[in-house]
Amino acid sequence: MARPDPRPPVLEAASATKAYADLVALEPLSLAVPAGQLVALVGHNGSGKSTFLRLAAGLLELTDGSITIVGEPAGSSGARAATSFLPDEPVLYDDLSVREHLAYVAALHGVVVEEADLDDLLERVGLSHRADDLPARFSRGLRQKASIALGLVRPFEVLLVDEPFVGLDAPGKTALLGILDELHRDGAAIVVATHDPTFVERVDRCIALRDGEVVHDGPATPTDVLRLVGG
Amino acid sequence: MRRWRPGHGHGDRASLTTLLPVAHPDADLEGDLAAWRRFRRQQRTAEVHWIDVLYQAYLTAILGIVAVAVLSSVVGDDGLSAGQLTEVRAHGAGWLGAIAAFAVAFGLRSGSRGGPLAMERAEVRHVLLAPVDRTTALRAPAVRQARFLAFVGIVAGSIAGNLASNRLGGSTTAWVATGALAGLTLVGLCVGAALLAAGTRLPRGAASLLGLLLLAGAVADGVDAIGTSPTAPFGDLALWPLRFQAVGLLAVVAAVLLMAGGLARLGRMSLEAAERRSTLVGQLRFAATLQDLRTVIVLRRQLAMELPRLRPWVRLRVRGTGRWPVFMRGLRGLLRWPAARVARLVLLAVVAGFCLRGIWSGTRPLLVLAGLAMFVAGLDTVEPLAQEVDHPSRRDASPVEAASIHLRHVPVGALAQLLVAALAMAVAAAPGDGRLPTAVAAVGLVPLALGGLGGALVSVLSGPPTAGGGWSLTPPEAQGIRLAFRTAWPPAIAVLGVLPVLFARNAIEQGRAGTEGAAPFVTLAIFTFTLVCGWVRVRDDIASWFAQQMEQASGKT
Repeated sequence: MARPDPRPPVLEAASATKAYADLVALEPLSLAVPAGQLVALVGHNGSGKSTFLRLAAGLLELTDGSITIVGEPAGSSGARAATSFLPDEPVLYDDLSVREHLAYVAALHGVVVEEADLDDLLERVGLSHRADDLPARFSRGLRQKASIALGLVRPFEVLLVDEPFVGLDAPGKTALLGILDELHRDGAAIVVATHDPTFVERVDRCIALRDGEVVHDGPATPTDVLRLVGG
Repeated sequence: MRRWRPGHGHGDRASLTTLLPVAHPDADLEGDLAAWRRFRRQQRTAEVHWIDVLYQAYLTAILGIVAVAVLSSVVGDDGLSAGQLTEVRAHGAGWLGAIAAFAVAFGLRSGSRGGPLAMERAEVRHVLLAPVDRTTALRAPAVRQARFLAFVGIVAGSIAGNLASNRLGGSTTAWVATGALAGLTLVGLCVGAALLAAGTRLPRGAASLLGLLLLAGAVADGVDAIGTSPTAPFGDLALWPLRFQAVGLLAVVAAVLLMAGGLARLGRMSLEAAERRSTLVGQLRFAATLQDLRTVIVLRRQLAMELPRLRPWVRLRVRGTGRWPVFMRGLRGLLRWPAARVARLVLLAVVAGFCLRGIWSGTRPLLVLAGLAMFVAGLDTVEPLAQEVDHPSRRDASPVEAASIHLRHVPVGALAQLLVAALAMAVAAAPGDGRLPTAVAAVGLVPLALGGLGGALVSVLSGPPTAGGGWSLTPPEAQGIRLAFRTAWPPAIAVLGVLPVLFARNAIEQGRAGTEGAAPFVTLAIFTFTLVCGWVRVRDDIASWFAQQMEQASGKT
């Protein structure tokens, strides 16, 4: 298990539990993620990765326990301002272009952006050529890129990313890895739920879940991941 | 430099020079949200063609006129006698209060599941996950929904008031005005209860219990078992032109308080429920538009989180291949029914039972309601077959013909439906006013069960109406008749199953034995069910033959 980090946690879960009637989706989970830490959350299908991220984002409600973001309960106004969630399935408006999406989400978070800022961001995610198109007509990969840009156009201290590489082409994956590295350097706490065992080579810490329980917390290699969760 | 913000400015811009942007501390998030919503609304409005608007208005007007005509013929326009008017004055408020009780119960149930709002999924993800004040963010859509429903309530209430004036006498203007106020109040009670239940996170069990208590109170008031009920003021309000009772104002006050309370607590509604509803309600509306009853049922269950039990009520041993695999698969499915579904079937059985008592007391139109209750129950009891139809690949991979598998699902449905019918008949034959004679209840049990089941079988296997296949060659008029027939036929089969009770009563009125009057209709119901089973077995053959004939007729072969 990992040694305690001396930095104060920006994401802290204490016996966080989620159940649907008689089905337990997440066994009591306790962990703390300090600022500037890049964490990989690995586990097989149904292990509770996405459930934990949605709980931390405030999309799901805890059955028991607590999750705090920068000291505020998950889902509260302060926590929402500090948490950016990139879902596994992009959720976008039908009637807004990519550029309008970015401007809207930025406005909802109090960020006033100039067109040049949006162009820079779109260039980073590889969407500048489709900036004025409606994402409703995009392929899965392009929608994923639009979703990534939306997650980055607003302020955050904690970035929660669920299966980010699904649907992305090789340049898109490379660009996203570069962005995550940069955000990591800039001091954001990042938790990435993934099935990609090679991703753990880039992270500070790997948390492996099995049937909703933590079975590993600390540095890991891709081989460890395959052994722990079966790939 | 172009500012990507349709509202007013913030002053100094925040930075995006790194990948971590910074929020402006004085940003007016709610103002920006309102500005962007206006912008989107203007964009949407600009895209709507006036011809589409006219066509929608035309369709709404046609449907409205048909609905009013049908309603008028049902209500009739003969004035009530003095004795009947006395009855209305004495018991009308109680029974009209039952409508308000139903509306509140419906609202409470909806609110306990996160209703009545159904936002865009993207709106839930981007607006409700932003640090925008949720009460402010949700107020606009809530008010918009309430405003539309209020309009519907006023129109429906006015029509009801006009129809009532023909039968109850008095000033038409007074009845129409009162009807409009009652319609508006009813919407306020329903939507307000839903908003308040959602905002206070009322547990589903508590919402159901509260709703049932209100309904029971209203019914008890209607039958004079108690002096008044919490929803009786609504009845007093609706009957103002007949007798003015100031207590009716309480219903208006309650509606206003519920709405105000609900709107004030909007920000506390569950995001989890909002997210679930945002996905499912859109699909549900689309399926309803296509008259896809099966999809509506499945989505409604998902919306209510009606999941099969992990532990069945009774655990059956799994042994080898088994002798009746299809029947046993169905039985296993039934044994995992959630308590909510069991409760719903019990409720439907009770409703059917009371309708049978009503028929026996002389209220013949309750025949339709009893049939519908059994039909809806049938849609649950044919669940194993419906799942087979929902997931055809496994069925089609089997060496057994699809039609044969469908037919083998019928017995387990019949078993469940017989249990529902038995409960309905027990309610109908229980001591009290309007009880059915035991012999009639016994004779009517099987047709009651098979009627509902037959209707459900036809509905599930027919699926949603389509214009494809050979029917694409037929004129629109013929397709319209086919559509109406397909919609009405399944519930009509269920109603057929109630006929034995009606004709048993007629026989007794004519001095014959009830069972003697029921016998021909028992035979008819069983014969119809047998025909339905035959149709289940050969419908694929008939469909392929018909498609072939139509192709030949169009010269394709």
